Amino acid sequence: MSGIGPPEPGEGTRAWDGPRQKGHAGRTRAALAGRCARHRRTALSLAAAAVLLGGGALYATRPHPPAPTRRPHPQVPYPVHAVDVTYLGARPAPAGAPPRSFSLTVLLSVASGPPVTVTRVTQPYAALSLVTEPPAPFRTPADSARKITITMHVTECEKAPRNAELPFLDVTLRNTRAIQTQSFILGPRYAQDLSQALEVACSNRSR
Amino acid sequence: MRQRSLIAITAALAAGALTLTACGSRDSGDKGSDSGNGDGTTVVIGVDAPLTGDLSAMGLGIKNSADLAVRNANKKEFVKGVTFKIEALDDQAQPSAGQQNASKFVSEQEVLGVVGPLNSSVAESMQKVFDDNKLVEVSPANTGPALTQGADWQKKKVRPYKSYFRTSTTDAIQGPFAAQYVYNTAKKKKVFVIDDKKTYGSGLAATFTEEFKKLGGKVVGTEHINPDAKDFSAVATKVKNSGAEVVYYGGEYPQAGPLSKQIKAAGAKIPLVGGDGIKDDTFMKLAGAEATGDLATSVGAPVEDLPSAKQFVADYKAAGYKEEYSAYGGYAYDSAWAIIEAVKKVVDANGGKLPTDARAKVTEAMQSVSFDGVTGKVSFDEYGDATNKQLTVYAVKNGAWVPVKSGTYTG
Repeated sequence: MSGIGPPEPGEGTRAWDGPRQKGHAGRTRAALAGRCARHRRTALSLAAAAVLLGGGALYATRPHPPAPTRRPHPQVPYPVHAVDVTYLGARPAPAGAPPRSFSLTVLLSVASGPPVTVTRVTQPYAALSLVTEPPAPFRTPADSARKITITMHVTECEKAPRNAELPFLDVTLRNTRAIQTQSFILGPRYAQDLSQALEVACSNRSR
Repeated sequence: MRQRSLIAITAALAAGALTLTACGSRDSGDKGSDSGNGDGTTVVIGVDAPLTGDLSAMGLGIKNSADLAVRNANKKEFVKGVTFKIEALDDQAQPSAGQQNASKFVSEQEVLGVVGPLNSSVAESMQKVFDDNKLVEVSPANTGPALTQGADWQKKKVRPYKSYFRTSTTDAIQGPFAAQYVYNTAKKKKVFVIDDKKTYGSGLAATFTEEFKKLGGKVVGTEHINPDAKDFSAVATKVKNSGAEVVYYGGEYPQAGPLSKQIKAAGAKIPLVGGDGIKDDTFMKLAGAEATGDLATSVGAPVEDLPSAKQFVADYKAAGYKEEYSAYGGYAYDSAWAIIEAVKKVVDANGGKLPTDARAKVTEAMQSVSFDGVTGKVSFDEYGDATNKQLTVYAVKNGAWVPVKSGTYTG
């Protein structure tokens, strides 16, 4: 009974050992063997976990058949991140527009991604209505810009905001990823031209 | 015996090796912000924010996010031969503490830029100290227009300090945008305006009020509160008796939360609206369940929605910071990164080394910094303001801030 066996017992070695050894050496060996076995179990557990994880990763990254529904490409930007709207200037209202109408032009640019469709353009004031040229919906491809003429009609002069600091246009945008509405705050020149146009439109009314 | 000893030693070594490998801890002890690029130059980026006190939720988010930027710069060896470190000082949202911190940063030669502060009133006390010493500061959170455009900004814009920049947009846009939403979208025509008398709060309330009145809205009452107070029952009663349909509060969440709660408790079941200073999750904890329907505007788009912010959000989570990145985390990361970019420009232009007048050069370089950051394109206009001006209106729904409208300033 002097054999101490291999430092790393082989498969089944421990299970088939005889009765537990008495005495210091035996306890040391038994403790050592126990530790080794625990480490072996840890190592085996880790290996098993690694195999499972590896298998899981392989499974997760296996080639997929095309999805039955259209899913957006991860690189497709949200429409509001691809679009910019800037103010160009005022211009006369088109012939045939109702009285108390005026026009302003903006430039819509699409920087990247798939084409973006403008489905709606609105402004926030109850006393105004608007139409656009081209009329919504219209599509603009990437790396291009489109001039839009906004013709506003004052429906109620008493409620029209004569000198708002930060008027904006709400533009609803759609691309293959999403449909979103963004307020484009067009800055002081737009605010000034809008105020002036409202002043003119409503003072004409009183004449 | 020797053989047995040898076997025992071998077994011990094997067990030890296994312990070190299979059983070993994965704790690398990575400090991140000071893990460097060898023996090169160390550049310190100061961070000034409220790290203790009522506003620490926002302040710690700023500190952690700046730290993350520095970690990433060091990991990537973004500036060859330069190791970045942060040094964070607590201003407790107090101008006097902020000024002391500014003096401390100025006295330390390794500091080449400062991220912060949170509060506009604190920034006012720091700007001159930094500018006199040509030390650049980039705030992720100050929204007071006068900081970049001068006290008379509504009539004539004049930049007071060339060393001051910010990545957030200003109350010159935030206040009117809130007024437009409240009047046109929420259809509230009568407002009671309250502020905390501080630079940020009173300035924001003023820009809101001006636009609200221009739109045709009516201000049915105004009050100022003491920022140290928690009992607002007298003000709440005045709000109730005024017939207001909405309350606008210029101030921060430690007061806004209890104020909202006490206004509702007084019987005025009307929304409280504020700016970015109230847009923190602590607001809901203080305001309680009746905060549903309260509104806040915040500078910038929701970070979670920005494709540019995905990596930041993932990195922040992976870094294991205890606190949330909060409202200004993305902006703080971009502020720190702007300083890193400016240092890179200066080092690259000087043959790979920092020049002796590094602070002045970094301040100069900041003006032309431009990069794709967490919050989108980061660059600065002639006043030091961010060129990227986005705003979002949030509403409290189911105990969380939910974005309900977003805007972009393109003027």
